[in-house]
Amino acid sequence: MQDSPVLSWKVAGLLLGLLVILATALVKPFGVSTQYVVTDAIVLHSAAPAIAESNEYLNKYGQKDDWSVGYGWMLVLGMFLGSGIAAMATHRFRQRKNPAMSAMWQEQFGDHKGKRLIQAFIGGVLLLFGARLAGGCTSGHMISGISQLTVGSFVFGISIFASGILTARALYRKRSSS
Amino acid sequence: MKLLLGLAIGTAIGAVMQLGGASSYRKILGSLLLKDMTIIKLILMTIAVTTVGIYALDLVDMAHMDIKPTYIVGIIIAGLIFGVGFAISGYCPGTCILASAEGKTDAMFTLLGGLVGAALYALVYPLMLPLINLTNFGEITLASVFNVNNGIWIAIPFSAILLLLVFRVLKDRYE
Repeated sequence: MQDSPVLSWKVAGLLLGLLVILATALVKPFGVSTQYVVTDAIVLHSAAPAIAESNEYLNKYGQKDDWSVGYGWMLVLGMFLGSGIAAMATHRFRQRKNPAMSAMWQEQFGDHKGKRLIQAFIGGVLLLFGARLAGGCTSGHMISGISQLTVGSFVFGISIFASGILTARALYRKRSSS
Repeated sequence: MKLLLGLAIGTAIGAVMQLGGASSYRKILGSLLLKDMTIIKLILMTIAVTTVGIYALDLVDMAHMDIKPTYIVGIIIAGLIFGVGFAISGYCPGTCILASAEGKTDAMFTLLGGLVGAALYALVYPLMLPLINLTNFGEITLASVFNVNNGIWIAIPFSAILLLLVFRVLKDRYE
């Protein structure tokens, strides 16, 4: 059971803040969810070019011969690498007994790998649909947006936590009462 | 050059977030169940540091700001949808990428679901436009709303309140 993170929230928050400031000074504030669209644009331009080329939204993020795999996409790729390196360096790579689910989930819902993976997938669909409708996610809206004092980002932050807290309570009902 | 810079900054961000526990299902659900404040404190601490930093940069015209438009109704609905996905998956669009790199298969499914969700949004985007144009106040910030020229004068007290919250009010665990 790996419960306590390697870095405390103080140190991690300070470092993450300095990195976002650096990014804002050099290029722009940091955001992740746009890159899902960029990736979709790349995939769909090769898999279903007719749909991709006629789609107004995808065209905002990449066109036929210019997929705009730029700074932002490389940043997200970097996040993947950085996380993997950090997990390996601290021997927390694949720490779970069951890679598909957290022990916490297993305690509540049982050892159902398929059920967990379907849940995780549907969660992902909702996350990105919501993030694209809002124009950003936890990084772009919550961290970068609120840090720029953007009004809509405060609204988004309140809305996701209100909805997330209610949903989490519904999911973990039995556990809370015991 | 810019690509390498993105890769470098991203690698550092990913490592710090992973080491801070942001890619942990238990930590995220702990936050949403209001039992473990680690992630909430991590986010608030980050915002406290970044807000002052960005507005200090802005004073000397060095901040490349990117203010997103505020369309109240659309953003509230989007947040409600996002929040359900947040609690069901236990990840967000960034942390599922981090957790995938750790070899967590559920996070890989969230990542895949995210690609599908974004494509779904691209398909229905024309239908969403009325929602985005409704109650759209444009690129407003607390500084512009209160007519403050230098945002730093809002950034400093705002960050101070956040620091007070994380160091004095919120506790690590409520069990």
